[in-house]
Amino acid sequence: MTVRADNRFLDTPMRAVECRRCSARVEVRKSSWHQTSVQWDAAATAACHERPHAQPLPGPNGKFFESCSALQASIQEAALGGAVPVPDDGY
Amino acid sequence: MTAVQDTDEIRRIEAEAAPTRFARGWHCLGLIRDFADGKPHSILAFGQKLVVFRGEDGSINVLDAYCRHMGGDLSQGTVKGNEVACPFHDWRWGGDGKCKQIPYSRRVPLRARTAAWPTLQQDGMLFVWNDPEGNPPPADVTIPRIEGATSDEWTEWRWYSTVVNTNCREVIDNNVDMAHFFYVHGSFPTYFKNILEGHTATQVMKGLSREDVRPPAKEGQPKLLGNTSVATYHGPSFMIDDLTYHYENMDLQSVLINCHYPIDANSFVLQYGVIVKRSEHLPGDAAEQLAIGMGDYIRMGFEQDVQIWRNKTRIDNPLLCEEDGPVYQLRRWYEQFYVDVADVQPEMVERFEYELDTTRPIESWRKEVEANLARRAAAAADQPQPA
Ligand code: FES
Ligand SMILES: [Fe+2]
Repeated sequence: MTVRADNRFLDTPMRAVECRRCSARVEVRKSSWHQTSVQWDAAATAACHERPHAQPLPGPNGKFFESCSALQASIQEAALGGAVPVPDDGY
Repeated sequence: MTAVQDTDEIRRIEAEAAPTRFARGWHCLGLIRDFADGKPHSILAFGQKLVVFRGEDGSINVLDAYCRHMGGDLSQGTVKGNEVACPFHDWRWGGDGKCKQIPYSRRVPLRARTAAWPTLQQDGMLFVWNDPEGNPPPADVTIPRIEGATSDEWTEWRWYSTVVNTNCREVIDNNVDMAHFFYVHGSFPTYFKNILEGHTATQVMKGLSREDVRPPAKEGQPKLLGNTSVATYHGPSFMIDDLTYHYENMDLQSVLINCHYPIDANSFVLQYGVIVKRSEHLPGDAAEQLAIGMGDYIRMGFEQDVQIWRNKTRIDNPLLCEEDGPVYQLRRWYEQFYVDVADVQPEMVERFEYELDTTRPIESWRKEVEANLARRAAAAADQPQPA
């Protein structure tokens, strides 16, 4: 059962983004201003400053970490600065 | 052939045969209460036949159903003490897989040992650990506790079970498939994000209630506004959905289970359950009634999925648009359960986040809902008025 490549990621590949707070390096792709894919690796996960302090949410699935706000801000900056291209079709 | 893709070329659907190996992980077999009658139960799972029985000591055991003596079916036998007795020659098998006695023989022969499956009883549910490599469950591969399942402030499980004749990857794919929630299930997602990490795959979804599919609230009934759902797969087959319905005057909390175990490569048993939190807004047995109603609603939802699965084809190369979820990344995550532990690649377990842009779907779905409502109003106006 080999898993194939996502056709979308072949057309527009991911770009490296560094977190301004912890310097974690992740791979990012945006297909619009509101769509974001983030690929972490083990080193980035270990580097994140926010994650160890995240309060678990209530409920049985509460242990998951929804997102790092510092990284989100860094991605936003990278998008605005053009380091992560955002297709400009009105979204 | 040139490297440049001819845009007029027909896209071919590709699909390998479904794997004949079964996922490593905890699989829920159902509610403990349904196995606790002191009889052996026959379960077809992982391409085999299993026997599930509760001994007098209260422990629930899962063994390979076929007796190592002459191949009798232990699930047709009887429970005697803490052992299951084979209907063929009464050999007695313990929960640890060892033959404990043969009433007509002086001695149990060497190697009288059958496969015993590690079990977990938690929150009213029975789980078995499947591992093609035969290793015990690692300490960090767990199913989280569901507080409501053992609390008087919540209802009891409403539980459903059905056989689906397709490979179980179809049910996994749903976890990232936002658009099908609108088209198949009559939901209206407005926020959708997936987070894949380790052995968990989470879907965060917020949605609105659809006036064009649900009957409008009756006079005096609170109006349903929408819902917030956090649904996580803990391993390859067990999803917990922490689901809150938002009404005008209250929030209704529920927990929904969506789980399955494979029968063979092309069929699985789909099970789902629901509990609802009691509240001052739900007097008497209103919470129970709601759980029943929700259960029926979920059953309808799965029947809608089953209808699709029954007719669709397996596809390894889905062609995705930007408003689709991370199907390939989810499958990459899912692959970790089908390879030896030593072959699990970092990218199968490394964190991947995918937040969908719902701007365009919302625009389009608003229009569709409005058109449906307008059509309904026009049809109502055409009805002859009762005399
Ligand atoms: S990745 Fe930088 S604080 Fe999380
Ligand atoms: Fe579905």
